[in-house]
Amino acid sequence: MHKRTRFYLRVLLMTAVSLLLAACAVPIQPAAQTAPPSAGQTSAQTAEPIYIGVSGPLTGPNARYGEQWKKGFDLALEEINGAGGVNGRPLEYIFEDSQSDPKQSVVVAQKFVADPRIIVELGDFASPASMAASPIYQRGGLVQFGFTNSHPDFTNAGGEYTWSNSVTQAQASPALADYAVTDLGLDKLAVFYLNTDWGKSSYDLFAQRVEELGAEIVASEAYLPEEKDFRSALTRAREAAPNGLVLISYQADGALIAQQVAQAGLDVPIVGASSLQSPDFLNLGGEAVEGVYIRGQFLPTDPRPHVKPVVDRYIAKYNETPDFFAIHAYDTMKLIAQAIELGGATREGVLAGLKQVKDVPSVIYETANFDPETRRVVDPQFVNLQVVDGEFVLWDGVKPNTQ
Amino acid sequence: MDSLLRTFADQTINGLVIGNIYAFIAVGLALIFGVGNLINFAHGSIFMVGAYVGWVCVTWWGLPLFTAFLVTTLVCALLGVIIERFALYPLRSAPPIAPLLATIGVSFMIDQAVQIIFTPNPQAFPNPLLAYRFQVGGVTVGAIDLLIAGIGVATAAALYLFLRFTQWGWALRATAQDREAAQQMGVDVVAVNRMTFAIASALGGIAGLLVGMYFNTVYPTMSFQATLKGFAAVVLGGLGNVPGAVLGGLLLGLIESYGVAIFGATYRNLFAFVILIAVLVWRPNGIFTNQRRTAPEPLTGTFIARSRPVHIPAWAIAALTVAALALPFFAPNPYLLQILTNAWLLGMVALSVTLVTGTAGQTSLGQAGFMAIGAYASALLTQRLGWPFELSLLASALVSAVIGVLLVLPAFRLRAVYIAIATLAIGEIVNQVILNWDSLTNGAMGITNIAPPSLFGWQAIRPHEIYWFTLVLLILAALVQHRLVRSPLGRTWRALREDEVAAQAFGIDLNRYKTLVFAVAAFIAGLSGAVTGHMYSYISHETFTNTTSILVLTMVILGGMGNLLGAIVGAVALTALPELFRGLADYRYLIYGLTLLLLIRFRPQGLLGTD
Repeated sequence: MHKRTRFYLRVLLMTAVSLLLAACAVPIQPAAQTAPPSAGQTSAQTAEPIYIGVSGPLTGPNARYGEQWKKGFDLALEEINGAGGVNGRPLEYIFEDSQSDPKQSVVVAQKFVADPRIIVELGDFASPASMAASPIYQRGGLVQFGFTNSHPDFTNAGGEYTWSNSVTQAQASPALADYAVTDLGLDKLAVFYLNTDWGKSSYDLFAQRVEELGAEIVASEAYLPEEKDFRSALTRAREAAPNGLVLISYQADGALIAQQVAQAGLDVPIVGASSLQSPDFLNLGGEAVEGVYIRGQFLPTDPRPHVKPVVDRYIAKYNETPDFFAIHAYDTMKLIAQAIELGGATREGVLAGLKQVKDVPSVIYETANFDPETRRVVDPQFVNLQVVDGEFVLWDGVKPNTQ
Repeated sequence: MDSLLRTFADQTINGLVIGNIYAFIAVGLALIFGVGNLINFAHGSIFMVGAYVGWVCVTWWGLPLFTAFLVTTLVCALLGVIIERFALYPLRSAPPIAPLLATIGVSFMIDQAVQIIFTPNPQAFPNPLLAYRFQVGGVTVGAIDLLIAGIGVATAAALYLFLRFTQWGWALRATAQDREAAQQMGVDVVAVNRMTFAIASALGGIAGLLVGMYFNTVYPTMSFQATLKGFAAVVLGGLGNVPGAVLGGLLLGLIESYGVAIFGATYRNLFAFVILIAVLVWRPNGIFTNQRRTAPEPLTGTFIARSRPVHIPAWAIAALTVAALALPFFAPNPYLLQILTNAWLLGMVALSVTLVTGTAGQTSLGQAGFMAIGAYASALLTQRLGWPFELSLLASALVSAVIGVLLVLPAFRLRAVYIAIATLAIGEIVNQVILNWDSLTNGAMGITNIAPPSLFGWQAIRPHEIYWFTLVLLILAALVQHRLVRSPLGRTWRALREDEVAAQAFGIDLNRYKTLVFAVAAFIAGLSGAVTGHMYSYISHETFTNTTSILVLTMVILGGMGNLLGAIVGAVALTALPELFRGLADYRYLIYGLTLLLLIRFRPQGLLGTD
């Protein structure tokens, strides 16, 4: 009897101690990485900042995309805060590294939802991480703005609080097919596509459009994201005698394929999706990507007034040409600032603001409008590009020679 | 017909070139395994460092290629010696599983350090050789192909001469054959071990440099895939067998090349790993050895440290359980609850690994594959057939158990390291099948809109609800497993771990008990996977990757092999640590790796000791 009482006493005591410890440990939130204060803040400096949460990869296999995002965000914030912030308050972001791993993105999501300072969230990068976090943002009433999420179901699966300004494959893929078949006159295509949610759905929509246009896909090859050696697959495609090669790829793998095309003895024009449009593609590809056609969304050397000033500022700040991800991040930050201005600096305000925004200036779309039902950009623009002398330029309209 | 022949010749050359690179990686792994009995997870990282050193030499300093090779060789050899001296040498008398964890920690640190120094962006490796290509009878051969082949042959010859005709080579082979005997004959095994690391790392570095040149690119994450393919090549050729590793690498390259030619690029890994399993089943010693059966390895028994588990009194366990259950009332912070929910879910998987690996001595590196099976089964049953969650949860765990056993069945003849690599391959095969079986799994698009977990109308949606749900599941799993391990069945499993031959002599039907242990483990892992899928609402083939399998094994080693409480403690620790280190930003995983290294350095038997 005595022994048993002692047992229960110990259990009680230990429980109390561990709970006390846990309760004490909780308020200690790990220090977050905040954006460095931008130059030129004056009146905005004194006011309480408005915080935006960013969930994305800063370490791990996708870390490079997070780096590009930061550069785009910082440039946009410099402008916004330099002009007095939003409603007189400076705008800042808190970037939490998720490695684009669903295990971590859900934790980050809970953190942001629980943090009353955060009024809108941007990211995550890849679908498994972004879409695992969507229900948490949805239930927490915090807008998740997934600006790289082109998964066709991203906004549908998430719900009212899930928005994106990324082009869906349903918009981009037919446009790519139009460029390859109608504009360039290629009718026997070999297609290489990444076997991911993005690549697969892009390919399906692309193939559908190609068929509508009366052309033919003579060889198609899905490959794994970590694939490095394409010579076997290219040799296989060569046997189908295509007159054009279409790449639904990312930059590094796209450059690798372009390099190995010559090695595999396949000599045809290459047409690539907009994801290839990055300085990395040119650096990694070198000579091999010369002449590649790209159905792009944004051209850094575009002289038009919605592009050039931003690109110039970017180059002045970072001494490098921005890629699509950095400019997309820039666009997104500007858009969010406008939504906050319209709806107010609260979680509900951001949602209301996003429903109201109209003709938002955008480097990529010139002006962007959203369909409040699909929560996606309406009628995005594309540009026909080609790599000439190691740079992206507008396509000159000359069809390639096909035998 | 002519074009078919040309294609065949081209594919053969493609396969030989890539196989040559696999061979380089495999030889290093085989040397280290032979001498040190260690699976070196840091080998891929050294390979990556080699690629970067070569890149720095060529693009920053403009050194000629030959000098770049020399520098790479020296730097990587030095790196190997440093790793051996500071991470592995202190663990020389620790249980053999401890150095394995140390190499995982080292690889984390190296990968992250390179990423911080050189940025995560891929770097172009301009290579003048790529432009030169010859036509030999209709077949295209590049100068780079010849260079890789030349260096491959030269290195293999040098290694052969070294092992065959020099005193150090004899010492190395003697140590590999019998460490104790070699030591008694006056061989300085510590020095031999260090030299082996230097040679293996130098070879790995050269492989990295060649890969960087061949693909024209270097990037920090090139390491993991290299390790994986290296393992496959080593097993094909026979563990610890250097000529076998060379041939295994070439063979793997050819298999992949022909596989891609026939089935397409997306089946590359599937094909490679299915062949690997087949080889393990028919020729467990590798294709290039005469022995048909694996020798009884001392590894199986001694894989487990002889140490006493830390005694934790029943009242403390009871109190901690009550505290964990009551936590949401006292600390309703969703961030904290989500971290712990992840820890409970991974804790269940860790329980399953500690059962298979700790209790029954069958190292499993494929547990994420069983999670994926459970998650997909439950998602599909609820979505396509409209089953209620309560039913689909149990059914999917059963599905995971059945498929899990069927997959591991062919590997039952294997032991220790072989079964580790076979299970790693199985995890990879599961993911590849999910990716390529479009009609069932929706392929790369994944499954969206999976309903949250629910029990008879009560839905686990809010953080504390899902917290309780997963915690109760974990407690149930732990209780069941505790009963199993303490029962006669548990004793039989431990007998299997200690000595298979003796167990068999006592009339224990090995296959039956292995089936049972893998079934229970796959059941628990499948359960965890199913709940995870319903919590995430979206799953794809990228949700449960083999990095998760390795993470879970790390948890188990850290907590103490075979120790139930240790598995849970390990899961909580390794889920919470990266979160605690958030303030360190880019340095987060560097510190994480260092922490792993220090923990295993001072607690090689795991935090709570082995059971």
